[in-house]
Amino acid sequence: MNALLVKNLRKEYEKFTLEDVSFGLNQGEIMGFIGRNGAGKTTTLKCLLNYVHPNQGEIQFFGKTFRDHEQEIKQRIGFVSGGVDYYTKKKIRTITEVTRRFYTNWNEDAYRGYMQRLDLDENKTPSALSAGMKVKYSLALALSHHAELLILDEPTSGLDPISRDDLLDVFLGLASEGVTILFSTHITSDLEKCADTITHIMKGRIVASEPLESYVARYRLLHLTDEQLTETLKPALMGLNRAKHGYTALVRADESDRLGLMAEPANLETIMIHLERE
Amino acid sequence: MKNFLYKEWKLAFHPTVLMFWLLSAMLMIPNYPYFVILFYTMLGIFFINLNGRENHDIFYSMSLPSKKSDFVKARFAFIVIIEMIQLLAAIPFIALKQGLHMSGNVVGMDANISFLAFSLVIYGIVNWVFLKRYFTAPEKVGKTFAIASVYITVVIAAAEVLVHAVPFVRDRLDTPDPQFLLEKMAALAIGAVIYAALTFFSMKRSIKVFKTLDI
Repeated sequence: MNALLVKNLRKEYEKFTLEDVSFGLNQGEIMGFIGRNGAGKTTTLKCLLNYVHPNQGEIQFFGKTFRDHEQEIKQRIGFVSGGVDYYTKKKIRTITEVTRRFYTNWNEDAYRGYMQRLDLDENKTPSALSAGMKVKYSLALALSHHAELLILDEPTSGLDPISRDDLLDVFLGLASEGVTILFSTHITSDLEKCADTITHIMKGRIVASEPLESYVARYRLLHLTDEQLTETLKPALMGLNRAKHGYTALVRADESDRLGLMAEPANLETIMIHLERE
Repeated sequence: MKNFLYKEWKLAFHPTVLMFWLLSAMLMIPNYPYFVILFYTMLGIFFINLNGRENHDIFYSMSLPSKKSDFVKARFAFIVIIEMIQLLAAIPFIALKQGLHMSGNVVGMDANISFLAFSLVIYGIVNWVFLKRYFTAPEKVGKTFAIASVYITVVIAAAEVLVHAVPFVRDRLDTPDPQFLLEKMAALAIGAVIYAALTFFSMKRSIKVFKTLDI
């Protein structure tokens, strides 16, 4: 069963439209939701949780429509939007005391365990926590009500590489315990460490939603000199980009051999950069 | 809804409201426009909503497993409690003033039972104008407060003018207690009905609008 299924989501704004967004996420999977700033990642996540109201489309969590089972579904998921940025001058103890009342399956022992494991002090305020610790506190709250699906909106933005790596370890540990994670980011190297599947959004449209390995294997990266960049070659290239010594471009993996040029495996970052330039 | 109400006390409550409750003691000031006290209550309500915006209260609240309508109901219940505490805090000062025969206010309405009746109507208008607008555009709480301030200033001024201009109000309602007690109790009951109706319809409208609001 899908932990999350999104079908034909559409949200219109004056200057931006989220169009025909569809993807599915299996239980126990980590999905990376990638796209440049303004591509529609946060809008999509907000649509999932009814913060913004889509013009059309269907959203199902655990096989149930969000529209009809919102409260039940919210008991089973956790939303982490860049860490705790609410009531940042109140003590963590007070925020927890309020939050736990809303969850029927809140587990105080689990909460104490996560606070200890993540090295969090209840007597501090969120404003006194580092960005990484804020995300960890959000995770502790979500996991203490046994969230089966975590929706994380750019949780690693603004973190130093070591804090990011720490957090990714936490995600991997959670996934091994069966927690499903949808993780939006534009820091693609994070996903290469932990994601099973990738959903790539560009200008409000999903351009790919598939396993990470197969998505990356679809492309090769070419390094070209001025001489190699011929007019006959150009139609096969995607996102031709000026580099220090010549050019880089993506090609489809199946075309790369036919072209007879040296190509290297692409990664998420090179795919994002070059497809955005198309 | 009770969980959200708990959240209001623990997280959303603004400490200036405590100080504004104490301003019910201003009823002891001789010859003063006592309805100004109600303006301070509205200022406290504004601070709560402003503080909420700065602390991403709505975003946090909507992440919790509860109905949007419960969030609105809890905020209304919280405001009603604040307003009622303000009036309850006024009663000892009204009683003291009446007991010491200090009644009589050349500026406007005396500190008596009728003051409470008029206050209920004014609070009803606060809830209708301020809260209804707030839930339409929570991000523009400053503009909402500015508009509501104009409304409430006009309403307060009108209430004080009534005391001088309308004979029934001047001769029966603006008198020391317990004179014309029947008329004053009737005014209090009417004030309570108007307050309840304005608050209820403001809440209904706010729930309807808030359910469709993009956050």
